[in-house]
Parts: sequence; C-alpha cells; structure tokens
Amino acid sequence: MDINRLLGDSSKWIAPVVVLAALIVGATVGLGPALLVLAGGMLVGVVLLFWSSVGRLTGESPLSLEEAIGLGAPSPEEERKRSILRALKDLEFERSVGKISEEDFAELSARYRADAKALLKLIDAESAPMRKRAEERLALRLQGEQASPAKSKSRKKKSAKPVPAGAEQDAAEALPPEPDEAVEAVPAPPSATVTCPSCSTNNDPDAAFCKRCGTALGKPAGATS
Amino acid sequence: MWNSLPGFGTGILYAVLVAAAYTFAVAIAAGRGQPRLLESARRGAFATSGLVALGVLVLAYAFVTHDFRIRYVTRYSDRSMPMGYLIASLWGGQDGSLLWWSFLLSGYTTACVFWLRGKYRQLQPYIIATLMVIMSFFAVLMLFAANPFESNLAGAKLDGEGLNPLLQNYWMAIHPPSLYTGFVGCSVPFSFAIAALVTGRLDNEWIIAVRKWMLFAWLFLSIGNALGMAWAYEELGWGGYWAWDPVENAACLPWFGASAYLHSTMIQERRNMLKIWNVVLISITFLLTIFGTFLTRAGLISSVHAFAQSDIGIFFVWFMGFVIAVTAGLIVWRLPQLRSRGQIEAVLSREAAFVVNNWLLIGIATFILIATIFPRISEWIWKETVTVGPPFFNRWMAPLGLGLLALMGVGPLFGWRKTSGVSLLRAAAFPGAVAGVVVVLHVTLGKHFGFPAFVQQDAFYPGFAGVLLQKLGSMAPALTISLAAFNFAVVGQEFYRGISARRSKYGDEGVFEALRHVVDKSRRRYGGYIVHIGVGLMFVGFCGRAWEIEHEASMSPGDTHQIGEYTITYRGPRMEVDPTKRMVFADVDVERSGKNIGRLSPARFIYTKAGQPTTEVSMMRGLRDDLYLVVGMIDPTSKRATMRFHVNPLVSWVWIGVLVLMSGASISLWPEVRLREVGVWGYLRATAGAATSIMLAILFATSSARAASPVAARPPAAAVVLPATPSAPLAPFAYGAALAVGVGVVGASVSERIRSRKRR
Repeated sequence: MDINRLLGDSSKWIAPVVVLAALIVGATVGLGPALLVLAGGMLVGVVLLFWSSVGRLTGESPLSLEEAIGLGAPSPEEERKRSILRALKDLEFERSVGKISEEDFAELSARYRADAKALLKLIDAESAPMRKRAEERLALRLQGEQASPAKSKSRKKKSAKPVPAGAEQDAAEALPPEPDEAVEAVPAPPSATVTCPSCSTNNDPDAAFCKRCGTALGKPAGATS
Repeated sequence: MWNSLPGFGTGILYAVLVAAAYTFAVAIAAGRGQPRLLESARRGAFATSGLVALGVLVLAYAFVTHDFRIRYVTRYSDRSMPMGYLIASLWGGQDGSLLWWSFLLSGYTTACVFWLRGKYRQLQPYIIATLMVIMSFFAVLMLFAANPFESNLAGAKLDGEGLNPLLQNYWMAIHPPSLYTGFVGCSVPFSFAIAALVTGRLDNEWIIAVRKWMLFAWLFLSIGNALGMAWAYEELGWGGYWAWDPVENAACLPWFGASAYLHSTMIQERRNMLKIWNVVLISITFLLTIFGTFLTRAGLISSVHAFAQSDIGIFFVWFMGFVIAVTAGLIVWRLPQLRSRGQIEAVLSREAAFVVNNWLLIGIATFILIATIFPRISEWIWKETVTVGPPFFNRWMAPLGLGLLALMGVGPLFGWRKTSGVSLLRAAAFPGAVAGVVVVLHVTLGKHFGFPAFVQQDAFYPGFAGVLLQKLGSMAPALTISLAAFNFAVVGQEFYRGISARRSKYGDEGVFEALRHVVDKSRRRYGGYIVHIGVGLMFVGFCGRAWEIEHEASMSPGDTHQIGEYTITYRGPRMEVDPTKRMVFADVDVERSGKNIGRLSPARFIYTKAGQPTTEVSMMRGLRDDLYLVVGMIDPTSKRATMRFHVNPLVSWVWIGVLVLMSGASISLWPEVRLREVGVWGYLRATAGAATSIMLAILFATSSARAASPVAARPPAAAVVLPATPSAPLAPFAYGAALAVGVGVVGASVSERIRSRKRR
C-alpha cells in the first residue's frame, strides 16, 4: 500500500470530517468536548503534515508535475517587462482623463516602449536555445505522428495544445514539453516510410505517388500538414 | 477531567518552537540551492501553524471547562461568565493575548504560504524562514516569560477572579482581534522585504505582491483603531474618543507607517525609484507593531490599558535590536542594487507630492512616538519625569493634521513625472473655487448655526511659536472645513473626469454604467479616492471638538439644566440588581428647542467582584451633535445627583468617515482578476469583507435594540449614526442583510469552485 498516496487522499477529507464531528458533538454533548474533537483533528493534521514534510525532505515522496514545473521562476527581465507594461497601461489611462499633456504622453510612452523592446529582445535572446529545443522536439514529434497516423490520431488532440502556445505566444514562458510526451517522442522511428499498396515498395513519408509504379499514395503530403 | 492539561499546553508551545526551527532550517536549505526542499518547508509552515491553533484550542477548552488549575484561566474568567466572554478572555490578558498574536500570525502564515504556491519561487524560502523567526520569538516569549498554560502554585481554585467588568462588553470581542489582525498583518510584508533583500530580487514584482497584504493590514489597523475610539467614547465616559493615551498612540503608529508605504509603493511601481525607502518603510511599520506590543505589555509607560507589569520587556528589546540589526545589515549589503535609476524630475509631480506626504506621515509618527515615550526620555536625561498630556498633542497635531489634509487634496491633481503649471491650475480651479465658497459661507453663516469659523484659544506657550500655534488653533475650524471641501471636490472632479473620458469613448453608456466600468478598471485608484473622502469626513468630525460644550451640575429631582439647545430635567434615581452587579440609574428627560425627545439614563454599575463602580454613559446621537451624559455620584438619601453633560458636535461624522474609508479600502482590495483565479486570497478577502459587514450589521442591530428598550442599559453602538428616536425595525433588517451577505459570499465561492472544476 502506498502510504504517500493514502496521506494525499486523507488531506482532502480530514478537515470536513473533523469539523462535522465537532459540530455534531457540540450540538449533542457541549462546547468543551467539541473543542477537544477539533483539537484532536488538528493534532492528526499536524502529524500528517510533518510526515509529508519529512517525506519530501528525505526525497522519499516524488515531486508532483505541478511542483516540478513550478521550480522555474520568472527571470528578473520578465518581471521588469511586466511592470513596464503595467506602467504603459496606467499612462494611457491618465491621458484619457486628461491628466497628462499629449507631448508628455508621446515622450513617456516612447520611452517605456523602447525599454520594453530592449527587454523583449533580451528575453528572446535568453530563451533562444530553449525555443530551438522546443522546435526540434516538435519536429520530431510531428515526424513520429506522420509515421503512424492511425495510432496517433487520438493523442494528437491532447498534445497539440501546450507546445505551440508556449513556443509562439511568449518565448520566455515556453515550458519544456511534458516529460511523458518527450519520452514518447524520442523513440519514434526517424525513417518512417509509406508502403505502396500495389507493389509494396517503401516510399518517403511525404510522397504523393509511388516512386516505382507511380500509384497515387492514399495520403498526399499536403493533407497531413 | 484531564490531569495533564497544563503540561500538555506547555508541551505544545515547545513543539511550536521546535517545529518553527525545523521549518526555518529546511526553508533556508531550500533557498540555498535545493529548491526541491521548498515543498517540505511549505508543509512544515502549515504544520507549525497547526500547532499554534492546537494551543489556542486547548486554552479555549480550559476556559470552557473552567480549568482553574491554569493561572491565566483563574485570573481572567469565573464560573458566572457567559460563553462569549469566556472566549474573549483568550485575548483578555497578557499571556493569552501573546498566544492570540501567534495564532493570528499562524493564520497569516497559512494564507500567505498557500497563496504563494507557484509564485515567487525564489522569495518563498526566505519568506517562510522570516515568518518562522517571528513565530519562534513569540514561542520563546510565551515559554520563558508569559506562559498562558502556567498552573497555579497553590493548586486549583474553586472559582476564578473574572474578567475586568470594563472589558465585559462586545467591544472586547471585536476591538482587540481587529487591531491584532492589523498588527500581525504587517509581518507578511516584512517577510517579503527580507526575502527580497536576501535574494537580491529587488525589482518591482515583490512589491506588487506586498501591496495587497499591506492594504489588508492597513484596513484592519484602521478598523481596530476606530473600534478603540468608539469603545473609549462609549465606555470610559470622559466625553471624547481619543485621549492620546500611550497605548492608543502605539496602536496608531503603524497606521501612519503603512499609509506612507501604500503611497510610496506606487512610485516604485511606476518609476522604479525609492527602493531603499520602501524597504525601510516596511521595516519601520513592522517594528512599530512590535514596539506597540512592547509598550502595551512592558509597563514602560502608565496607561489605561493596564496589562499586568511583567518582565517581558527585555525580550522585546532584544528582538527589536535583532530585527533592526538584520534589516540594516541587509540594506547596506544590497545598497548598490537598491540605488534607483530614476529620479524626481520636477517639484510639481506626483512623485514629489508623495515624497512630501511620506515625510509628513513619518514626521507625525515620529512626533507621536517621541511625545509618548517622553516621560522615559526626560527621566533618563533630566532625572525627572515630564508627562505630556492631551492638550499638548492637540495643539501640535492641529497644524500637522491640516498639512496632511491639504496634501491629500492636492496630491491627486498631479500627474507623474511633471505637471505643467497651467494644467495644475486648470485642475485646481474647481476644487479651489469650492473651498473658497465654503470658507465664505462658513465665515458668514457659521455663527448663526452654532459652528463659528473662528474659535477662541488660549495662549499655550510664550513667544512667537506660541502665538502662531494659538492663531492656527483658532482658525482650525475654518481651515479644516474648507480643506475637507477641497478634498471632496477633488475626488468628485476625478470621478467626473474618469466618467466623461469613458463616455466620450463609448458614447452609448449611461452615467452609472460608465462609473461602474471606470471603477472596475482601476479599482485601486478609485478605492483610494474613496478612502480620501472617508479621511476628509473624519477630519470634519475631529474638527467638531472645537465647538464642544461641557457642563457639570448637581441636581435634585425636578431640577432642569440648559446646555446648548437641550433642556435636561432630572426625574430621580432608580436601582436595579442582577446576579453580578447593582445598577443605579439617574433618569433624565431631554427636550430640544422645547420639544420632548426622549429619556436618558446614565448609570453607575457596582460589580460584586470588582470594588470600583463603573460609569455607564447614556447618549443621544445625531448628525449635528451628540448629547452625552455621565453621572458621577447619586446620594441615596437626598437623591441628589452630580452629572456631567457634553454636547459633542459632529462626532457621528468620524464613524461615517470610518465606514466610507472601509468601503474604499475594500474596493481597492477586491481582486482584479476573477475570484477563481486568485484562489485563497479572494476567499480570504471575501471572508474578511463578509465578516466586517456582519460585525457592523450586528452593531447596527444591537444598538437600535438597546435604544428601543425603555431603559438604555447600555449606550447605543458607536459605529452607527441613528436619529435620536430609535427605529426598531432596523434590527431584523440588519440581521437579514448580514445573513444575506454571508450566504451570498459562501454561495458565490462554492459555485465558483464548482464551475472552475468543470472548466478544468
């Protein structure tokens, strides 16, 4: 039996159960015993919390996916970018209520935009290797899917979401693809081929016609992309 | 029934100390290159908080079961006390209030650590570590100097001594918790500041996170102080709400620090400036909360809030020294990074106005601080104790307060970086005109209505400064009223500008629709403006002191006395007895301009346990003035009564101002994103908001119920403005409203929860 999973589950129901028990005891016996029930529940909760704290300290319980992703903190540049964008928004508001003259607005806004641009460039440069890696993995993955179209159909829907959103929208926040996906993507056969139905010749995956007999292959390259 | 309960309680305190130390160590390890340990530290923080809550539960159990083996329970409760006061006794005395403080700190720790989940990963370890240091300080304090679980040396007593009768009222249930909530809330911003200093991540993101926590603490500091004022006004019976008592001063000091920070943080957000100053302000505010606790507990300066004298002062001194040393060291270490790149470009800019406002706020705080501890300073330097009384404060605070009011009005007119003289004049034209008209009206008509613009003041000091203060004091009413009008006009104009800008963009919107959108889009700004209105109204209320009337008279039954517009006829004494006390009332009928407006019954309560009789105020409230009656002595044979009458003009506006301030702060605090996205923070705020409204609604309800009863056993509640004649149907209405708010909040959060789960 996995004690950690048991503990994880218990954290969800222990608080409501204790409170409910305390309410019942409070209504039937009295406030004193109800407080005792609460205290007992609290003690159990504290013990469980220490248990899991020590578990994580000794490395017995693995990190959850969410925790692992959270290990990456936003860079100082990213934080500065956010604050400049906020300042720009504020500036526009002040112009709309007439608190700042047009010239001042133009000058300040240009200065903030220049700052933001410089930061964005810096962020882009920093995240370039990451982005490249993400694109490589994406390419690899797509190749793999083309090789086994029938099998990957159902999975495609699931996996298509995170990668482009991370890679294109905001380079700095591009997350590495989920570990399980990466694992799946790597062993995909790099030289996947399409077999001709009439002469059984192996063709390139994107071939429209068989290179030997000229039979039209069922799925032309345009359709897959 | 439980033999080792006192020992168990003490054991919990030791466990808190050990748990905090463990969490501190793990958090530091997580910060120093082992981010995987952060999860462990987070759980440790939750567990430590749970232990403190366990301690509070055990003490509550001891109170409820009258476990008089425990000294604290013996001293602050007895068998006759109702359940509510038994729970209030948790924070009624020194030792328990320290446990209560740690409990609130653990609540903040839990909320903060939960809220942080995936955010501020680099700061988190040090935030947790700092919170744990504060927690262990309080654990050490309780264990070695003020243990709430200490048992009586002579064994269990048959009955306890009971809570001081002065504390047995509902103010006790609400004032200390809200003030402590404000005090303890300053620990979270401090932890963020320390974490930012240690990690060197001093840019703006951390300060945005801190802002919300500070605003929350500030809101509760305001509520706590206002409730304290209302309590003093209603229960102490000296006729006013603020006596510059050392403990009152200590409670308001962090408020000034927090107010200064809330303004200067905007400069850092917008201009990336004043980084050192902001860190210093947060640390000062935190230190002032610790200092306030120290002042209240250590018996350093005599005060009405007489906690038992004890030797815990030295612990506070060490802790404050430690905090100052660590913070100063860190700031010096990070000085190169804290230097700002920007600078103030023009005197006529919002930055400059904020800086001046900061200096003024901190100046006021310093002034109050020095004047408060002056007896000790004078003793130390001149070997004689010089006490400064309320008149001293009132004189000197008048110019400072007026300066603050003026700055508060002018500030919003400035734009960032620089404001041209022309645009400033254009912006100030309308408010200036309003203030001018108000001054003229006040000077010409004020006297007619009993609020003259200028009042007579005695010279307080010889010399030029004395004359200046005297002149300023006599002009204070005119200045305050016109500056308040200026403030209201400025805020009105800001709203008007926002709405008209919105409507010129979206022409089809109605005025209210546009207002809703404008406020919704920048809640913080408009919430702040509403807070300004609240503060302006409070100033109007403070200004009423200039016109107060106070009489004293000894009356036989049938005698009448004239004060202001009121004619008071003494009808005679009346005695009632209940199990805990004898109550002697002096019934008087009140007429206003010849019309009977009701009966008041000021009283003396003589408790069987405590020897000193208490004074029970009886009053009639109004928007114009309060009639406030106190009875001194009643001769049982001749039935003669010595009474004191006060007419306190405009006091109700202080309470209205506080309510406006609270609503403004709540608007600012309301999450900018949807409830589901902010998680615990949204719920925390919603709960706090709901709790506050419910609390106030109960105040409304109980006060009207009291006023409606033929004998006003207790004066009506203060945070309420009721017409002199009571309206009984208000009570069910208020309870209904409170219930509706509570149900609405709970319902909204549950449905939001369910919806967000579905979406996922």
